[in-house]
Amino acid sequence: MLAASGAVSARIDPASPSGAGIRPGRALVVRASRDSRVRTIAFGCLFALYSYIQPVGYRHAYPSLSDRLAFAHSFASNDALRLFYGYPYNALTISGYSAWRVGGTLTIFAAVWGVLAAVRALRAEEDAGRAELVLAGVLRRRTMYLSALAAIAIGMSILWLAELVGSVAGGLPTGGSAYFALATTSVVPVCVGVGAVASQLAPTRRVALQLASAVVGALFLLRVIADTASGAGWLRWLTPLGWAEELRPFAGAQPLVLLLPVLTSALLLAVAGRIAAGRDVGAGLIRVRDTAESNPRLLSSPAAQALRSDRGGLTVWLISVGGFAFILGMVSASISSAGISQSVRRELAKLGSGSIATPTGYLAFVFIFFILTVSLFVCAQIGAARREESEQRLETLLALPVSRSGWLGGRLLIAAGASGAISGVAGLLAWAGAASQGVSISLAHMLEAGANCIPVALLFLGIAALAHAAVPRASAGIAYAIVTVAFLWDLLGSILGVPKWVVELTPFQHVGLVPTQPFRVGAAAIMVAIGLLAAAAALAVFRRRDLIGE
Amino acid sequence: MQQAPTRPCADPVRSADVSGAAAIHTEGLSKRYGRTVALDALDLTVRQGEVYGYLGPNGSGKTTTIRLLLGLHRPSAGRAELFGIDAWHDPVAAHRRAAYVAGEPFLWPSLTSDETFAFLANLRGGTDVAYRDVLIARFQLDTAKRVRALSKGNRQKVQLIAAFASRADLLVLDEPTGGLDPLMEVAFRETVVEAKERGQTVFLSSHILSEVEALCDRVGILRAGRLVDEGTLAELRHLSAQTIDVTFDGPAPSLDGLAGVRVAGAGANALRLEVSGNVGPVIAALAAHPVLALSSREPSLEEIFLHHYDGSKDSAGG
Repeated sequence: MLAASGAVSARIDPASPSGAGIRPGRALVVRASRDSRVRTIAFGCLFALYSYIQPVGYRHAYPSLSDRLAFAHSFASNDALRLFYGYPYNALTISGYSAWRVGGTLTIFAAVWGVLAAVRALRAEEDAGRAELVLAGVLRRRTMYLSALAAIAIGMSILWLAELVGSVAGGLPTGGSAYFALATTSVVPVCVGVGAVASQLAPTRRVALQLASAVVGALFLLRVIADTASGAGWLRWLTPLGWAEELRPFAGAQPLVLLLPVLTSALLLAVAGRIAAGRDVGAGLIRVRDTAESNPRLLSSPAAQALRSDRGGLTVWLISVGGFAFILGMVSASISSAGISQSVRRELAKLGSGSIATPTGYLAFVFIFFILTVSLFVCAQIGAARREESEQRLETLLALPVSRSGWLGGRLLIAAGASGAISGVAGLLAWAGAASQGVSISLAHMLEAGANCIPVALLFLGIAALAHAAVPRASAGIAYAIVTVAFLWDLLGSILGVPKWVVELTPFQHVGLVPTQPFRVGAAAIMVAIGLLAAAAALAVFRRRDLIGE
Repeated sequence: MQQAPTRPCADPVRSADVSGAAAIHTEGLSKRYGRTVALDALDLTVRQGEVYGYLGPNGSGKTTTIRLLLGLHRPSAGRAELFGIDAWHDPVAAHRRAAYVAGEPFLWPSLTSDETFAFLANLRGGTDVAYRDVLIARFQLDTAKRVRALSKGNRQKVQLIAAFASRADLLVLDEPTGGLDPLMEVAFRETVVEAKERGQTVFLSSHILSEVEALCDRVGILRAGRLVDEGTLAELRHLSAQTIDVTFDGPAPSLDGLAGVRVAGAGANALRLEVSGNVGPVIAALAAHPVLALSSREPSLEEIFLHHYDGSKDSAGG
């Protein structure tokens, strides 16, 4: 027997299998980093671009100190803007302003990235059955967990570096920028912790993502209330998005605050690691019942069934958009034009912010973000359609007497209908929130503001569908990228003063700020027409290609 | 919930195809993926009522063929027809008469088996509910369970039951018994035999030779994207060599020079001969020698298959 094992080891030395020197843990880190590289690079570009635009734009828009003083006294102390950009500690200097505008927005993206990365690494792999394969090898669970976290840490460093590079390129000092980028990315480990715990609780990728997003949404809401409601500033200490503000880059740095995200994420990740070590692979702590009463509703067509399986996600969208709209409606009551000079208003217009000095103007301004949200929603819908194909359930469907146009058309109708519903809920609840605070604004106007989201969403839906038909593997990525670039295009173009026709390439230039401005029927009709043309082209192209799995 | 009507095709008048078109007919059907030739000019005809075994090793192009037959992938050249209907240009009409069981069961994890049956039946516009219940009992499936909680074999049963209960004129089965236990394999064979008795056509892609040998009227052997042999089992056997083992009382003689005879092996006083065609001349030649024992057997499907796969490596490639 000894001789036999000697013979085996002569042929295959167990100490150095082929691929000599690569430890299994490292192989996992490399694999996971490669799997998520597209998303990380996309977010990295966004971080670099956004942190570059803001200092450049500020210098451009407010060249002198007196301009900046006027700006700081009016615009920056405006409750409404704090909602998106957070609390401005020092809006007088380029760096302080940038820290406010960039940090406030990018922390939200950092939070989203953290949740996506954690659920992808810690639940999606398991959901797809790949984790089982890995664990059947020589790896311990702890190694797998730590490898996943290491890959996420690499991605996080890339985001940090991207923001640093963008800020320095925008003319901010290097040392301060490094700390600033650190403040922004301090959100990531906490949100990774949230995603990691959610991944232990939920048995599927989708539920884990919904759970974690709900928590991060609540954390964002806490920051919104802390930054806008008077006397609620202490709430900032309860959310990692608030901690990022309290780190105060370029405004009297408080590096000790870093202890909060460090300790919280360590705690969350330890809890998640503990659960991961003790549970069944493939299962979550939340048990789903394996059996169910047969329910024949919404099984009549592929579209009906898609609606049935998506209804949880749709409900989450409706509730979160509706909840946000309600809070924004309430906040609008605190907006007044006191102290905003004409010249500053003109400058505000350059930032793409329009006239926001009245409750109505403010709501018209924030609805641009709802247009963005609904546009991102249609991208998610195309992502879901693509997943049905990549997971090959579409083959099962199309082997039946189901036409390709019927399937894709049905999915597009659902996406269009749902984006209409979300837009309507946004308008309705923004009105309700405003009305609850005694703002006099008509329901019809706010519903019109909601409806104003729909043409842009339909335009992007058509384009995303075409991407799905023509380049299936990259469809969702292309769709998200087009929406994001189109949105930033507006900000970027209007700040840097590029030729008008270039700026006007984005649909965001052609939406009226309803209800302050009228609904632009002509532009809306053109957007819908382009969307329909793109959708028709998508149906035709999809009819002509192979179905493509993962 | 059990409202789905019985398909009228159970009616014998309608199930006989008026046009008499073949259930499956392909001409020069080819598919390339980039530089890879997955299927090379396939000419295939499966008559109605036939059980056709489609054999080939992994990666030989079986699943590609099926994706082309169902219009899921677009032919690079040639065409595929089901009952005279072009599978690429009019897939919906073609699929009204065909049901498909994929090699991997890709279903909806949150639906129960019952709901999956209802969904698939709705998409087809009806199914034979009574027969479905028979099959559920035969395959011992717990239909209240969600697909997520089912093992691969059980998910495969869901697909099989849904396909056979549709009573479609043509069943396209892609390695349908992967994951089934031996008892369920028996249930599967029973179900295929029932389908054949009803006059349904079955296209069975498989690499389980015993299954094909037991069920199929005709067999096609695919290798590297080309159909290398086709026929009934008897025809395939006839074309292939018979094996004759002879033991002599004394040293084995030389039998060189006999047409159609190849010496496959030789011992001190034994020979293994492979004889193509008529065995008469061999017997006559042997009569001149002191034969102690003689046995002959027809080649198994496995030997035919291996012969095709091993014997012509040099002509492989696309």
